[in-house]
Amino acid sequence: MTTTPTQAVHWDLHYDIHLGATWSRFMDGLRDQKILANVCPACDRVFVPPQAYCESCFERTDRWVELPPEGSLEVFTVAWHGFRGGPTPPYAIGGVRLDGASTLLMHWVIGLDFTEPATLLAQLPAGSRVRAVWAPQRSGQILDIAHFEPARD
Amino acid sequence: MSYRAAVVGAGITDATSPRKQQLSAVELCQQATWAALDHAGTTPDTLDGIVVGNIDGFEGTVLGARNLTRALGLGADLPVTIINTGGTTGGNLMQVAARMVRSGSHARVLCLGGPTFFGVRDLQSAINTNSPMIIEQPLGMGAYHMGAFAANAYRQRYGLTPEDLAAVVVADHEKASRNPHAHLRYTVTEDEVVNGRPLSSPLTQPMVCPVSAAAVAMIVADADDVDGLRSTPALIRAMGMSSDPYLGGGKGDFAEMQNLATLARRVYALADVRDPAAEFDVVEIFAPYAHMQPMQLEALQLAPPGGGVELIRSGATSAGGSLPTNLSGGPKCTNAGVAGELAPYAYAALQVMGAAPEPIQVPGARRALAHGTGGTFFQFENLAIFEALPRSDR
Repeated sequence: MTTTPTQAVHWDLHYDIHLGATWSRFMDGLRDQKILANVCPACDRVFVPPQAYCESCFERTDRWVELPPEGSLEVFTVAWHGFRGGPTPPYAIGGVRLDGASTLLMHWVIGLDFTEPATLLAQLPAGSRVRAVWAPQRSGQILDIAHFEPARD
Repeated sequence: MSYRAAVVGAGITDATSPRKQQLSAVELCQQATWAALDHAGTTPDTLDGIVVGNIDGFEGTVLGARNLTRALGLGADLPVTIINTGGTTGGNLMQVAARMVRSGSHARVLCLGGPTFFGVRDLQSAINTNSPMIIEQPLGMGAYHMGAFAANAYRQRYGLTPEDLAAVVVADHEKASRNPHAHLRYTVTEDEVVNGRPLSSPLTQPMVCPVSAAAVAMIVADADDVDGLRSTPALIRAMGMSSDPYLGGGKGDFAEMQNLATLARRVYALADVRDPAAEFDVVEIFAPYAHMQPMQLEALQLAPPGGGVELIRSGATSAGGSLPTNLSGGPKCTNAGVAGELAPYAYAALQVMGAAPEPIQVPGARRALAHGTGGTFFQFENLAIFEALPRSDR
């Protein structure tokens, strides 16, 4: 077979992304172990992460609320295969509906037995209760929540 | 006044794996462009615009389309519009070209989608850079990780098994085996799909699209100014696009495609489609992962909620069935990035023009539905309905 001629191109770029007022307040909250959300004045939906405007009503959000660090795991996947620069698989990423939130918060979920791939959904079925675990060192970023763990009452 | 827009020519190159591709992106784009011009029976000097797409970063460049366009050899004076909407770039090319023609500012526009993914060494890592920064990007999600969310939610809602997802893949490969332009042209069994290498639960490697290298081009023209053209035009009867919130967590429900359902109602109303399952002769939808095609069939009112897999298993969506769907093999078997998302439009238009590759042509197809979707969590949808437009001059 003929080889396909290719030449390597490499990018190595760093960026500083400006969080703005809304996400700065959210990140400040995480540093203090608080999950802050905000509310659309027109449809009363509660956004976490917060957003400056409601994407449905085009209204500026005005009211802030603190949500409990607990909620329901609505959906998750186990990454068996990752990518360069990413976390080391296997790891589970889920969508958590915090109590009182209208949106899902994506985050890592622990507590699954990865040696039993066939039972993953049965281990944490939709609606399972989960709780945020705080990172010991927090710097105002989403990984100030280390992950969510099953909340077995 | 406004004008009617139609597809009057389409060109699709053969697809290969990146490893086997001997042509550059420019050379593939040239091939597709000249095939589309040839199909329409026209020459570059009749074009008055080009709409071309790329996805910054995925190709190791930004605004690559700008440089590519001059290299096509179509002349120096062609106005260029660049679409750069990530995964939906391909589907949006025709939507933009059709708006240009409908407005009367242009009469004959080339839409061009090249291969987007075939240079990057680790596509999942590139796709993670495309996921929402700050909030979701740090979690480590490539394309199939994000796709898997819906697969799991859908499975749980309707009690579907891995074998059910595999049945979709088996059907797609069977169709692709008959499409000369498809990339993965081998057939697979349910066992092979279920027992494939696990990527992100519940998706195995065979349930996920390949990275393909190919290009697709279409010519969108004033439907009522086809003198001198060779083809039977595919009238763009209706089209539209719709978006969910950008953050994956903004989706209301991962187990159903609410955004697509909303868009479908809007586009069906424009075309006066009242009974979708009975009114389309052929359907091409952008379903790169196993769970997507059944979910999309449901959102498009072509199958009842939770009934997508059963419809596919019944043979209704196969050649000769009542609702031939993705006879091209779909993006599950050929996905060349921007070209991959333009492909459903090209195949659907070719079907009603009577010019699809012979082994996949639906005899006498008159009305087709074409769909594209993209975004990290497939937040963005686009849709169009084509109708055969018999020429009054023959």
